Amino acid sequence: MLELSQQAIFSGLLVGSVYALVALGIALTFGAMKIINLAHGELVLLAAYMAYFIESRTGWNPYAAIPLAFAITAVVSIAVYLLIDRIKLHRELNSLILTFAIGIILTNGILLVFASDVRSTNSPVLQDALSFHTVYAMKGELTAFVVSLAVMSALWWWLKLSWYGRAVRAVSSNRDAAMLMGIDPRRVELAAFLVAGILASVAGVALFTMSVVQPALGPALTVKAFVVTVLAGVGSIPGVFCAALLLGVTEAMTVTLASSALQELVGMVLFLLVLFFMPNGLFGARARRG
Amino acid sequence: MTRRNFLTSTLIAGFAASFAWSPVASAEEIQVGSHMPLTGSLARSGQSFREGMLVAVKMYNDSQTKHQIKVTLIDDETQPAKAVGAVEKLASDGAVAILGGYGSNIVGPASDTANRLGKVYITAGAVSEELVQRGNKNFFRINNNAGYLRGFEGMVEELKAQSVSIVASTREAPMLLAKGLEESLAKKNVKVTLHPFDPAITDFKPIINKVKLQDKSEIIFMSAYENDYVGIIRAAKVLKPGVKLISGAWSLAIPKMYQDFPDLMQNVVGTTPLPYPVDMKDAEGQAFVAAFKTMFNKDIDYAATLSFVKTMVLCEALGRAADAGTLKTGGLADEVRKTKRSSVLGPIAFNETGDNPNFTLAMGQHREGKIVLVSPAEQATGKIAYPGLPW
Repeated sequence: MLELSQQAIFSGLLVGSVYALVALGIALTFGAMKIINLAHGELVLLAAYMAYFIESRTGWNPYAAIPLAFAITAVVSIAVYLLIDRIKLHRELNSLILTFAIGIILTNGILLVFASDVRSTNSPVLQDALSFHTVYAMKGELTAFVVSLAVMSALWWWLKLSWYGRAVRAVSSNRDAAMLMGIDPRRVELAAFLVAGILASVAGVALFTMSVVQPALGPALTVKAFVVTVLAGVGSIPGVFCAALLLGVTEAMTVTLASSALQELVGMVLFLLVLFFMPNGLFGARARRG
Repeated sequence: MTRRNFLTSTLIAGFAASFAWSPVASAEEIQVGSHMPLTGSLARSGQSFREGMLVAVKMYNDSQTKHQIKVTLIDDETQPAKAVGAVEKLASDGAVAILGGYGSNIVGPASDTANRLGKVYITAGAVSEELVQRGNKNFFRINNNAGYLRGFEGMVEELKAQSVSIVASTREAPMLLAKGLEESLAKKNVKVTLHPFDPAITDFKPIINKVKLQDKSEIIFMSAYENDYVGIIRAAKVLKPGVKLISGAWSLAIPKMYQDFPDLMQNVVGTTPLPYPVDMKDAEGQAFVAAFKTMFNKDIDYAATLSFVKTMVLCEALGRAADAGTLKTGGLADEVRKTKRSSVLGPIAFNETGDNPNFTLAMGQHREGKIVLVSPAEQATGKIAYPGLPW
C-alpha cells in the first residue's frame, strides 16, 4: 500500500501541475476583470493542436510550438477581449454567454481543421519513463511540472513587480480609482488577456506532451480550471498552484485507496467542502489581508 | 439558326436526352433520415459512421435503377436530446426510416421516438441489452455486447489465461461489456479484477500500479475508447506491469491507431471483423473497400464497416418494401426482419427483438502496422504473439 500511495502522490503532483497551468489563465482574467472566460479550455486545446501540427509536420519537439501557439492564442485572446469590451451592460453575466459561444465556435473550428481523431505526442524523448526509487513518470510529465513552476514564478513576478502587473492588480481592486491614477483599464485588461493567452499556449503544449487531446476536451479543461481557481481563491497565484496540486493528489489518492470511478466525484466534493467552509477559497482571504 | 437559338435548343435537347436515358430519371426517390455524432465526444466514431453510410448509399443507388435512396443527416452533437429532436425533424420531413447513431444512451431515446412515430430505426453503434428488451418492433441493430464478449472470451480460453484485469470506462457500453466479461470469465474460473474509471480521467498510472502491485494479472483488457486506450497503454509502458498481453474492445485493432501511435500499439489486441491489409473474400466487401478509397482516399475502418453493413441492410429492405408497395403501410419493418444475408461482418439476420444474434468478432493483433487475426483459431491469419507487449 505504501508503494501505491507514493506513486499516487507523485502522479497527483504531476497532473496537478498541468491543472495549475490551465487554471492560471482563468485565474488571471477572473481576478483582473471578474470575467470567467469559458473559452479558455478551447484556447488551451488550440495550443495543444499547434503542438501536434508542429510535431507531425516537422518532427520537432512539441515545445518548439510555443511561439506559434502563442501567436494563435494571442490573436484569439485579443478578439475575445475586444468582443467582451463591447458589452456595456452586466459585463460579468453577458461575458459568460459570449465566451461560451466562442468556445463552441473554437471547438467546431478545431474539429473542421484537425478532424475528430485523438492526438498525443509521439516523441520518444517525452514518453521515456524515469524512475525515482519506487515511483515512475514520463519525462514529458516532469518537463510539464518544471514548466508549470517556471510559468507560475514568472506570472507571480509580473503581477508583483512589473508596472503592468501592478496596474492589473490596481484595476482588479478598484477600476475607477485606477483610472484616476492615470491607468487605462482597457489597455491593462487587454494585457491581462494577452498574458492569459501566453499561459494557455504553454498549458496546451504541456498537455499535448503528457496526455491525449481531442476536440471535445475544451469544456472539461475549463471546468477543471474553474474548480482550481475557486479552490485557490481569487488573487493568489501560488494559491492556484497549491490548489491544483491538492486536487491532483486527492484525485490520484481516491483511485488508489477507493475506486477510480470516484475520482471526479471526490474532486467535486472537495470543491463543495471548500466553498462551504471557506467561501473565499483556500488562499483567497489570506491574500486579501496581505 | 442563330447562335443563341442553337445553344438553347442544344441545352433543351441535352436535358431531354439526360432525362430519357438516365437510369435515375425514372427511379423512385426514397427519403431516409440519419442522426450521428459529427461533433462532441463521439465525433470520431460519428464521422466514420457517416463515411460508411455514404459509401453504402452510393453503392446501392449505383447497383440498380428502380430506387434512389436519399439520406438527410443531422448532427446530434453526441447529445440524446439533440438526437430525439433530429428524429422528430427527419420524420416530419418525410423520412421513412432512420439510420441510427452511436452510443446506447443516445440511440435509446432516439429509437423510442422513431418507434412512437412509426419509423424503422436501425443502428450499429449501441450494445446495451435494454435496447432489445423494450418490445420495440421498429428497432434493429447489427452489433451487440454478446459479440464483443464472445470474441475476447474465446481468446482467453485459447490462451488458457488464469487472470484478467479489466480497466473499464464507466460509460454505459464499456461498463456493460466489462460486467459481462467479469461474470462470464469468473464462471470459467478466471480471476477477474475490475477497475472502473471515470471518463474524465487522463492519468492512468494509479490504476495500472494497482494492476502491477495487487492484481498481478496475465492480461489487461480495456473496455473503453481511443483516448483512454492511449492513456492506459502509456501508463503501462511507464510502469511495466508483469502482464503478458494488453487487449481491448472496439476501435482499438484498427490501422489508424497504429498509424497515430506506433510506439504504443505493437502487439496490442482488439476486437475486429477484418485483418489489415484488408483481405475481403466477397465481391461486396471488395467493392466497399474500393468505393471507400475512391470517396475518402483512405482505408476502411471498423466503425465505417459497421455503418456500411447497417445501411446496406436498410437500403435493400427499403427496395423490397417499395417493390411490394408496402413502404408507406408499415411493411418496412417486416422486410428488415426478413433479412438473411452474408456481410463483411458475417451473417446478418434479426431475431424477434431486432437483435442480430450472429454478430461476433475476431481478435486482431497489431504487428508492425498490420493487423493479424489471432483468435478464434478457425479465423486466425497468424499466431498470436503471447507474451506480447508494446514495450
